[in-house]
Order: sequence, then structure tokens, then C-alpha cells
Amino acid sequence: MKKLIALAVAAAFAAPALSQDKPAPPPAWKQGMPAKMKDSKLAPHAGKMTETPASDIQVSKLKAPAGFKVELWASGLPGGRAMALSEDGKKVYLGTRVIGRVYEVTDAGDKRTVRVVVDKLTQPAGVAFKDGSLYVFAIDKVLKFDGIAGNPGAQPQDLTAKFDLPKEQHHNWKYIAFGPDGKLYVPFGSPCNICEPPKEYGQIRRYNADGSGKEVIATGVRNSVGFDWHPKTKEMYFTDHGRDWMGDNGPQDELNRLAKPGANFGFPYCHANGIADADFPKKDGCKGVTRPVLLMGPHAAAMGVKFYTGKMFPAEYRNTMFIARKGSWNRSKPMGFDVVNVRVGEGGKATMRPFLTGFQEGAEGYKFWGRPAYVAQMPDGALLVSDEQVGAIYRISYQRPKAPAKKK
Amino acid sequence: MLPLLRKGRWAAVLTAFFISQSWGQERLQLCAACHGEDGNSTNPQIPSIAAQPKLFIETQLVLFREELRKSDQMLPVVKGLKDADIVKLAEHFSKLPAKGMEAGSPNKELLGRGQKAAQKLRCGICHLSDFSGQNQIPRLAGQREAYLEAEMRAYRDGKRTGGDTIMAAALYGVSDADIRALAHYLSRSSVRSRAPGP
Repeated sequence: MKKLIALAVAAAFAAPALSQDKPAPPPAWKQGMPAKMKDSKLAPHAGKMTETPASDIQVSKLKAPAGFKVELWASGLPGGRAMALSEDGKKVYLGTRVIGRVYEVTDAGDKRTVRVVVDKLTQPAGVAFKDGSLYVFAIDKVLKFDGIAGNPGAQPQDLTAKFDLPKEQHHNWKYIAFGPDGKLYVPFGSPCNICEPPKEYGQIRRYNADGSGKEVIATGVRNSVGFDWHPKTKEMYFTDHGRDWMGDNGPQDELNRLAKPGANFGFPYCHANGIADADFPKKDGCKGVTRPVLLMGPHAAAMGVKFYTGKMFPAEYRNTMFIARKGSWNRSKPMGFDVVNVRVGEGGKATMRPFLTGFQEGAEGYKFWGRPAYVAQMPDGALLVSDEQVGAIYRISYQRPKAPAKKK
Repeated sequence: MLPLLRKGRWAAVLTAFFISQSWGQERLQLCAACHGEDGNSTNPQIPSIAAQPKLFIETQLVLFREELRKSDQMLPVVKGLKDADIVKLAEHFSKLPAKGMEAGSPNKELLGRGQKAAQKLRCGICHLSDFSGQNQIPRLAGQREAYLEAEMRAYRDGKRTGGDTIMAAALYGVSDADIRALAHYLSRSSVRSRAPGP
């Protein structure tokens, strides 16, 4: 089996002129699947590329703690996932994967309008907004739109050449964000389910906004598509998806803290809380590896991370994280399909509790209608949650009760 | 009209009726001109679209429209289609019954080689064991042979892009002879009439 995987991985990176008698490598998401699971029907869920009418979005099924109100805020955004807000919060930009578009949602008070800013890109999943400019990262392209919030016709500058993007596509769609240091943070996922990634991959980098000053700040990362910085400590927290085909119960997705640049997070040898890899065993593979601050559930697809800094929600939420778990596929029973609230307590110990549920019906078969992907905070302190499956954004607000709140 | 009403095909008929009423028969006729009146193609180079999974048809039409799957034939046809139109078209064709369209007796040697290759490549895991497809994954059983062969080569050679890269990976390094055999075998696999659903 190990040989087969090594071969598959080698083939994936080899020049195209491979002898025609060699077996074809499995698709990247299937690499590492053990022989005994060869007839497994588990496969990534299909995305939806067409608009879901607002009336078909089952927002009334969503549940949040008492006092919180969940409403459909915007729809007609097929594939919409990561969100970047303009400074005044009147514009929300969304990246997508397969459909190749970046959307702009304009908040006109009681309603929202949607337009496509740019399309025909290769998985433009990464969007960030800084100093009046929108940054868009596709797998093979970087675009910057100056002044776009006030000028819909703003033409992009192509910054691709400045960012040194490697060519593999798998796990190389991006989440991007500016850190408190003003640098642009960009992950480069491992282009496989499980492999020893080539040196440009399996890492998170940061750059100056113009693409200069490239620096690798985390290694041993499988596929991180969400991060944010603690409002007080300024430390970066990032989610990382665990590998597939090692069983229903692990290795779990991770929530990691980057205390200092250069830390190693273990991939491919050491997963979650020190689980050795089944296909790449390595003596002392967990030595020097930074362990996660929290395990996020097996195959749960922990995505967007957002520290809450607003004043609308009760004080207990201040400086805690909201994390969207898009939901599993490589597991016989569903896991995730929710937004959780994560609190980091004394000594760095983190705990997780459900916050927004109701995307998936029951705990057995896959009966989900939506998949929460990212979380953003509005200027008034309300939360936005994007749903990549139905192409929508929900707004979660809190109404302070007049009478003393009931104890939960 | 009458033979269509047999075997619970009301849904297809109603959808066709709905489509013709709401935005004209012209669009359907445009599709039918190349893909066959009933969605089963009489042109060996052009795919059958009857009984393809609804989500598969939707996804491909969007990919054509967005120029992510490049086709000089399809682009002018789908340009300007709204998502709602695409959903209706997909609904319509997904519910039409499939027919195998390859005439002539199959080549036994090619069939055997194709079957072996399909097993080795585990096509049936995603496309289902009877190759009837599911969700975003197309029906291969009974598809036109020349079309299957051309598309598999295009995937292998990096010429059919857009969407995911799964098929390019699945066909990596597969020989021309195996692709020819796969196309022969799949085009002659018996087609299951699709019940309405995904």
C-alpha cells in the first residue's frame, strides 16, 4: 500500500511522459485510501453552481442560542464562501471555487444587491480588503482592485508575478487575510490527501501587500483555509483539515495557534494530538511538532475563523472565536455542518460549544441542505455566515432581553 | 404524445409542457437539434443528455456559460441563459429516458478490455456500478462512443479543464488503446431508465 501511494504521489508530480503501463494515480482526494476501503462510496459532496431561490433556503431550520436572531441576509451567490468587508461594511466581497467568480454584495439597508466583480478565474477563493483595495487570489492569479467599493468599473492590477505561486491546484485554492502586522497571509496547501509535499507546499506564508518580503511562517500544514488573530495577544489561530481515509474517527481537524513564526504543525507524519500517519510512518515524527489548541472533529471541515470583537453580543462572546465547520464527507456519519463558538481559557486550553446548527437533519445519513463556510463581523457587531452550498449569507444578531436573561 | 404517458412519465411531460409554456419551445428545439429530439443523440460526436443527472447537466451548462469548459459549439447556445433556465433544462433532460444509440454488433475483444480497464480504474465508484451516474457525475452507460473517447482523451491530455481535476487524475497515463476500449464498453453498457431524482 505504501508503495502504491508513493507511486501515486510520484506520478502526480512526474513529467507527463509516464510509461502508459503504470497504473493511473487516484484522484488527489482518494490518495491514501486503504485497499480494504476500495469500494467505499464516500466521495466529496457535489457543489451547486446555480442560484438557489431565497424561498428554497431553509433558514427557519437554523438554531442559535436564546436571544439570537438568524435571518437570510443575501442570496444568489452560487459557490460563495470567504467574505471580505469594505471599511464601512457596506460592501461584502465573496470568493468562490469552481464557478470562478468574485461577488460584491451591496448593503442597501433593507435589501442587498449582488454583482459579479470578476469571473472566469481558476478558483478565486481568496478575498481580502485593505486601504480601499480588494485583493483576489485565484490558484494561479493575484488581482488587486483599487477603490472598487466606490467605483464598480475599477480595473484590476495583475500582481501574479510578485507572489511566486506554485502550479499544483489541489488544496491550493486560498483563504487570505491581512494580519495585525499589515502583512498578507496566504496558505499553500499540500497538493494531495497524504504525501510528503514538495517544498513550496504544506505551509502558510506572509508577504507585504505588494508581494515583496515573502516569508514562510508555518510548515507541516495540510490544508488551512481559515485564520484570524487574537485581538489582544495578536497570535494567529488557524484551522487545518485532517487527512482522509484513516477511519471515521480521525485524525481530527485542528485549530492551531502560531505562537512564533516558523513552527511545524506535523503534516504528513504527525496528525492532531500526536497520531502517527498510516502511510508515512516516521520515527520521532511528532518531535518538535506544535500540537493543536483544540481538536475540531474528525473530517468536520473546519473552515473560517473569526474572533468576535463587537459589542452587540453578550460580553461572554468577546474575544472568542466563531468557527464554521462545513461538514464531513469522508465519514460514514455526518460531522460538523455547524458554526461553533470556541473560547481559549487560562493556559491556552480551548473549549468548543455549538452556536449555529440545523444545516443537517439528524446524526445518521447525509441530509444537509446547507454548508456554513465562513464567518464575518459587521460594523454593528452582527455576524455574517456564508453558506457555500446554497450561495447565501445569513445574518445573526442579538437582542438584549428586557428582563434578566434566563440562565442557559 | 400517448406512448410518452406510459410508465409514469408524467413528470417529464409536465416539465416539457411547463417549459414550452413559460419560455418557448425554441430553446428545447435548439438543444434537440444536436442532442436528439428525446435527448438521445443521433450524432456520434455529440453526447446524449437524456437521463443525465440533473446536477450534472446544471453544472456543465454553467461551466459552458462561464467559459470554464470551453466549447465553440455550446458557448453561443448557453450565453445569456439565466440560472433558472438552466435548472429547468436540466430538470427536463434528466427525466427523459435514456437509450443506447450505438448500432452494430460490439467487438468482443474491445468489450473485454474496456471492462477490465473500468474495473482497474474503479469508474463505478463515482459513476455507480451500472454507470448511470449520480449528482454531478455523468451517466456513461449508453453514451456515444466517439464522444466518450474524445472527452477521455481531452481529460487525460489536460484539454478539458474547468470544474474539478478529478477526471484528469483518474485518466492520468491511461493509454489510447485503453481509452478506446473504455469508450466501446461504456457506450454499450445497458442503460437504466432513470427514476426522477438526483
